[in-house]
Amino acid sequence: MPADPPPRAPAITCTGLAKTFPGGREVLLPTDLALAGGRTTALVGPSGCGKSTLLRLIAGLERPSAGTVRIGGLTPAEMRRRAGLALAFQDPSLLPWRTVRGNIRLARRLARLPADPERIEDLIRLVGLEGFGDTRPAALSGGMRQRAAIARAMATDPQLLLLDEPFGAVDELTRRQLARDLPRLWEPRGTTTLLVTHSVVEAVLLADRVLVLSPRPARIVTDIAVPLPRPRDPAITATAAFHALTDRVSAALADGAARAHPPLAAQ
Amino acid sequence: MTGTATLPRSGSTGRATLLGLAALALAWEAGARLLSGSFVLAAPSEITAWIATHPGLLARALGTTLANATAGFLAGNLAAIALAAAALLWPGGRRLVTGFALLVFCLPLVATGPILRVLLGPGDGPEIVLAALAVYYTTLVPLLVGLNAAPAAWFDLVRSYGRGRLAELTAIRARASLPYLFAGLQIAAPAALLGAMVGEFTGAERGMGVLTIRYMRALDVPAIWALATAAAAVSILAYAAIGRLARALLHESPPVILAPPPDTRATRGTLPALLHALAVLTLALLLWWGAMAAFGLNPFFAKRPGDVLAALVWAPDAAETRATLATALGETARAVLPGYLAGLGLGAALAVLLTLAPVLSAVAMPLAVTLRSVPIVTTAPLIVLLLGRGAAGAIALVAVMVFFPTLVACLYGLRQAPGQILDVFESYAAGPLPRLLHVRLPAMLPAFFAAARMSVPAAILAVTVVEWLATGRGLGSLMALSASLSDYDMLWSAVALVALLSVLCHAAVAALERRVLSVYAAEQVPA
Ligand SMILES: Nc1ncnc2c1ncn2[C@@H]1O[C@H](COP(=O)(O)OP(=O)(O)OP(=O)(O)O)[C@@H](O)[C@H]1O
Ligand SMILES: [Mg+2]
Repeated sequence: MPADPPPRAPAITCTGLAKTFPGGREVLLPTDLALAGGRTTALVGPSGCGKSTLLRLIAGLERPSAGTVRIGGLTPAEMRRRAGLALAFQDPSLLPWRTVRGNIRLARRLARLPADPERIEDLIRLVGLEGFGDTRPAALSGGMRQRAAIARAMATDPQLLLLDEPFGAVDELTRRQLARDLPRLWEPRGTTTLLVTHSVVEAVLLADRVLVLSPRPARIVTDIAVPLPRPRDPAITATAAFHALTDRVSAALADGAARAHPPLAAQ
Repeated sequence: MTGTATLPRSGSTGRATLLGLAALALAWEAGARLLSGSFVLAAPSEITAWIATHPGLLARALGTTLANATAGFLAGNLAAIALAAAALLWPGGRRLVTGFALLVFCLPLVATGPILRVLLGPGDGPEIVLAALAVYYTTLVPLLVGLNAAPAAWFDLVRSYGRGRLAELTAIRARASLPYLFAGLQIAAPAALLGAMVGEFTGAERGMGVLTIRYMRALDVPAIWALATAAAAVSILAYAAIGRLARALLHESPPVILAPPPDTRATRGTLPALLHALAVLTLALLLWWGAMAAFGLNPFFAKRPGDVLAALVWAPDAAETRATLATALGETARAVLPGYLAGLGLGAALAVLLTLAPVLSAVAMPLAVTLRSVPIVTTAPLIVLLLGRGAAGAIALVAVMVFFPTLVACLYGLRQAPGQILDVFESYAAGPLPRLLHVRLPAMLPAFFAAARMSVPAAILAVTVVEWLATGRGLGSLMALSASLSDYDMLWSAVALVALLSVLCHAAVAALERRVLSVYAAEQVPA
């Protein structure tokens, strides 16, 4: 059993957080970051800029070269020991010898939580894998594996949920469904969610705040608040307010890229 | 590269294997009829007849040998698991453990047998220890691979719930290593029989090895062939049974090849490599000396490191001992080097040829795997019958010993060619030759070198056994002579020399492997 319960709706504070990999590859420039508890933040940025690295730093899976991370006042390691956070990895990383159900159950076991079969079945249904509980990952499609990984991440009711491109291989329709259903799960619990995505629409649809990163080495170039009402229906994507926001995010992305790689004429 | 590739197990390849075996048996029968009267080849019909007329004798001998082999199998594999656990608990010592394990694996069994016989006294002890010695290394190596054969993200998963190394072991490593453990156990089955039989060659009272020696003296060709056939059949059955057990328990076949590419991280630079070798050597000498002292063994036959050094360096007859060893070493080298190279070359060449004819390859793979599970050394008497007691027999035995593992590894490696890259070649309508040169051969190299490395101790085992049994030349024969003359200084010196040289050859092949793979298969060498 975890010693103490994790803090509810933990805020995240990064102070001077930076990462340079051995060999001198700078991935994250010193960054100060404060994320309010219980909110959803989206990270967008070009491929290879350091989004996954930032997520792993916050989870404490990567050691920072400088700076600190605090989650609700705790270090990432303390948060992990209290089973307070969960990650859905970019590559689903399911154990091939366990079924979908077995993989989800393992997460609860690792977090020292009781098995709770009903909750597991609910999650399997929620991510649209009904009937595949007994299937091994090899017999699932890429998108189905990702959904199983999302269910696994949700299975421990984490206070901090870190999602690394969780819908990358999922089709448009299922994506919309998940974008509608998953927040219903984490909003009432006050989960703090950090989501990496390549889809500007998804970022605005899901998040309260969108952080746009520059190309590597990553730095936060723009910080856009998303004041849309909740709960949000995917139909909201058709509104003018929504479009205004996605345009701002897209422009910030293009701007960050242009500053890193100026067009030839400007050089 | 020891990944998850498995053998296809469809009914059609099973039938093809049976057909292949039937064709082999027919050719064999015909050949034997042609050669009848020349005392070399027994026909399947003669073998069957011999077995039918001597069921009791065969059953008793097989029972003895199997009991010893089983005991050695258990002991050796348990030792491998214990060593792997030690390496896991103490990651810094992993290379010390594997280095020492390799050194012990390189002890020439034909000399270890007689030494154990005087150390342990009468009984089945030597056969059991030899069987254990023959199996533990080929289980340890894949087990260590398997315990580490999980993507980093799985360990991140465990850590993201705040759990440590124990949870890593129970949730991930233990299960991830099972296919590799079974692969080791599969190879261990024939190896245990081989170890037990070599033990029996070197002075036991009962068992298959003893019968083989007796019938070799009597030149009873059908009997020799019948014994070899029985040993081969038992090995193949054990190999298949363990594979079947693995498939039933794990829903997958164990990997076909065992040895991982050498660890480039730890051996970078000559100084660390030298220090590592020194550490292994020191450990070995300490354990050797410690064991002799702890059991208070009689220094007449239980030589200490100092005794061997004295015999080689400052004893009055040291120069003579060195000269004798050098002559024998030269003779052994002239048999083992051509045999080793021929086995490697032929194995790789046949694999490549078969790949150009995919239909044949589907048949060849299971057949080659089957023949690989024959304990080749136990067929040494047959090869002596076929090729005589000269150098040809020794070269051929070594070549056969190396050939089958190489063939299997290369067939496997050629199949590892990444499908997507082959698709790229396909999209340019490139022919089979460019595909072979640019995709398949580079994909084959890691498996080829793994086989080349693991074949070093195997080749030396084969050559010393055949020299011991038959040719009357080389280190194997010198060891036989020293054992019968109770010249324990010479015997221990020869053992130390063979073990040391085997490890050096192994290291040389590994160095070549690193160099070649860093050019041709960079992505397959761990960074
Ligand atoms: N273990 C590592 N060692 C060295 N460099 C690394 C390591 N992990 C990541 N990098 C480098 O860090 C940079 C950022 O990687 P990261 O995975 O964080 O990118 P990302 O923004 O998530 O990209 P993508 O959108 O493609 O997933 C890349 O240039 C990558 O090469
Ligand atoms: Mg990423």
